[in-house]
Amino acid sequence: MIRLTLPAASDAEAPYVARLNTGRGGVDEADAALVDEDAEGVTYLGRHGVLAIDGASATELDRDVVIVDPVGGRAERILRRGSGHNTLLVTERCDQLCLMCSQPPKKTHVDRFALFEQACLLAESDSLIGVSGGEPTLYKDDLLGMLERVLAERPDLEFHVLTNGQFFDDDDVARLRDERYTRVSWGIPIYAADAALHDRIVGKDGALSRLEKSMAVLARAGARIELRTVLVADNADALPRLARYVAKRLRFIEVWSIMQLENIGFARARWASLFVEHARDFGPIGDAIDYAALHGIRAQLFNFPRCTVPEPWRDLARASISDWKRRYADACAPCRERDACSGFFEWHPIQQAEDGVTPL
Amino acid sequence: MLLVGDAGDFALAERSMVERLCADALTDEDRDVLSREGLLIDDGDPLGRVAYAYGVAERIGHAGALDYLILVPTLRCNLSCSYCQVSRVAERSTGFDWNEATLAAVLRLIDGLETERVKIEFQGGEPTLRPDLIRAVIDRCERIPIRQFVICTNLQRIDDDVLALFDRPDVFISTSLDGDAATHARQRTGDGATTDAFLANLRFVLDRYGPTKVSALPTVDPARLPDMDGLIDSYAAHGIDGVFLRPINYQGFARKRHAEVRELDAAWRYYHSAFVRRLIERNWEDRSRVLEETYFSICLRRVFQPGADRHVDLRDPNPVGVDYVVVDHDGRVYPTDEARMLTRSGVIDLAIGDVFDGWEAEARDRLNAHATNRFDPTCMGCAYQPFCGRDLVDDLSRYGRIDLPRHETEFCRRHLAMFDLVFELIYSADPAVRYSLARWLRLPGTPTKFGVRLS
Ligand code: SF4
Ligand code: SF4
Repeated sequence: MIRLTLPAASDAEAPYVARLNTGRGGVDEADAALVDEDAEGVTYLGRHGVLAIDGASATELDRDVVIVDPVGGRAERILRRGSGHNTLLVTERCDQLCLMCSQPPKKTHVDRFALFEQACLLAESDSLIGVSGGEPTLYKDDLLGMLERVLAERPDLEFHVLTNGQFFDDDDVARLRDERYTRVSWGIPIYAADAALHDRIVGKDGALSRLEKSMAVLARAGARIELRTVLVADNADALPRLARYVAKRLRFIEVWSIMQLENIGFARARWASLFVEHARDFGPIGDAIDYAALHGIRAQLFNFPRCTVPEPWRDLARASISDWKRRYADACAPCRERDACSGFFEWHPIQQAEDGVTPL
Repeated sequence: MLLVGDAGDFALAERSMVERLCADALTDEDRDVLSREGLLIDDGDPLGRVAYAYGVAERIGHAGALDYLILVPTLRCNLSCSYCQVSRVAERSTGFDWNEATLAAVLRLIDGLETERVKIEFQGGEPTLRPDLIRAVIDRCERIPIRQFVICTNLQRIDDDVLALFDRPDVFISTSLDGDAATHARQRTGDGATTDAFLANLRFVLDRYGPTKVSALPTVDPARLPDMDGLIDSYAAHGIDGVFLRPINYQGFARKRHAEVRELDAAWRYYHSAFVRRLIERNWEDRSRVLEETYFSICLRRVFQPGADRHVDLRDPNPVGVDYVVVDHDGRVYPTDEARMLTRSGVIDLAIGDVFDGWEAEARDRLNAHATNRFDPTCMGCAYQPFCGRDLVDDLSRYGRIDLPRHETEFCRRHLAMFDLVFELIYSADPAVRYSLARWLRLPGTPTKFGVRLS
């Protein structure tokens, strides 16, 4: 597993952003340049003084953008060079409390928008940056302001924002029609077409109805939407009905991602009651995909190891798990489809993974 | 009864519900199920309203900038098919090929294209009689990132120059295969030896490039409808799974030879639907391949998947002379290939200009103001309006006018029959039907049902 946060020492007074640079190919003002490397770690020097990071090599860290927290003594690798899975966690607060939440919310909010903005401006060219939480649109103005300024300055960047869609309203239509938002896609979860069921899964009354209102706003703005549905025991059988709902009411989405559960956060404690063994009964999932496809809605499967998906739907299974938390079972070794396969989350029950695979 | 919304949402409802709808006496439950199907928008449902508007917008075809050219570099041909649509001339005639000035003007036209992609179809005559002209056009397209060329050829002769063109990955071959050897000989080649040469060449290109690069169409004579299995077999034997049944078009010289075609339209519609049913049976019997009739599949996909096909034969609105044009052997420009044939047969002059001086947008736009079925009084009351289209040139060719009541046109009768069949099959419980529909709609699995029934 790739470590995203490393122990670090710095004399700076406040958190700051730096791009780590071995020095090859020139050093910018925003860079911390390599001065020394030994078995312990690496030392850099930049405009915020000396920075010592432990537990990684200069080559690994080269051109990573980090947020250094001198008081906490750590450096966060916010934008790792060459990774397609960089995500800014802009808040840990959330208004919903989903049954299976992988990042259970916290009450407090640390405002780091300014740091994130500086980091984005240093991003590698042509990168896609994820934004997540908590619920990012709890701070909608800060969020949109950051996106707009970064996108104006960096016409090569794109954002993918995960949001529960509880806070968009009519006033946002004009703002979101701005040309810059063609480079933003919104990942929005929906769990069921039945309001009672959806609301129960997300732990908030009226959530589906509020989501519909936001969806209407986003559709009118021409926003790009990736709809996301995490599969849990509670909604598995309701999936075909959800597919019909999507085909009728949410035709403007770009793609519908049906996602297998991640064994972390709340889902870890409730694993036995939430996890659906799709390999045993793919029926409702296949029906849902077929119904969506019938109506021209593109569905895809996230976190479904390819060999566990029946052949007709296998090509919809994407290598969706972020590089830093992905692993394969030992039994996967001879598989020919490994590169196209999601594999498993680092924290997926080992035995379940080993027993469940049949190399292709 | 079938209920259909402007956005193409549909459901089968009990007569009693329709009566309640007409009497403005829907129950709350009626309203719920109807809004769920997108057939009713309740106040206080902003998402339903947006979904409806989006659905209607999806149904509106969009003709963008010119990016599709049908070019006729020569009118000469080495065959003389009984119904030749184009009015061809003998291979040895002179003065029926592009001259230097025409070629130069065509190349200028290509230089002026403003799109990222281009599709060029070479028609004739037999375009492979002039591989030099084809090559000049293809070379000129180099600057355009996405290119596709289709050479429509009778495949009678493939010399080295032609083969070099075929070998290009961006070149596709389209040919005619009218059925078994006897039918093909009767309608096209005239004798066995010429037919054998064609069949050998067809086999050769299929072996060399595989079926994805080669497509074939049968022209079917409604006066002598071919045996269905014979026709299907002749395609299947060549590894070609898609058959685009094309009735003899009674324009061009064919109009003179097949005066009775108009009366044969009904027989044709019957044959087409029987053909589709036969394909369903055969697909069910042999799951190793999926045979399809291309036009039926296009109509079927239009019901469920608006925008899935960019098919200029069936779209709405269907303006002419905007995103595609035809350049004839003499440089004259027509809005469609049918318009070219119609002009050639002396029925009406439909040229919109020429490749030297460009074309007049005004007359074309006046015609295009009528290129939609959306506001036609008959179509507005027709359940199939969201799926159907409009074909101005077909109306002109048959009736010399475009203002006939829709239901009195052959275009309407044909599409009414087509969508009747589509919906009959959508609501069929037969697993064989569901299997074929699912394949034609390109679905991974086979849904248990394709259409909703409301009670
Ligand atoms: S064997 Fe492993 S790598 Fe192959 S498809 Fe299954 S889970 Fe994926
Ligand atoms: S079937 Fe006829 S009436 Fe119906 S939309 Fe088509 S042309 Fe119009």
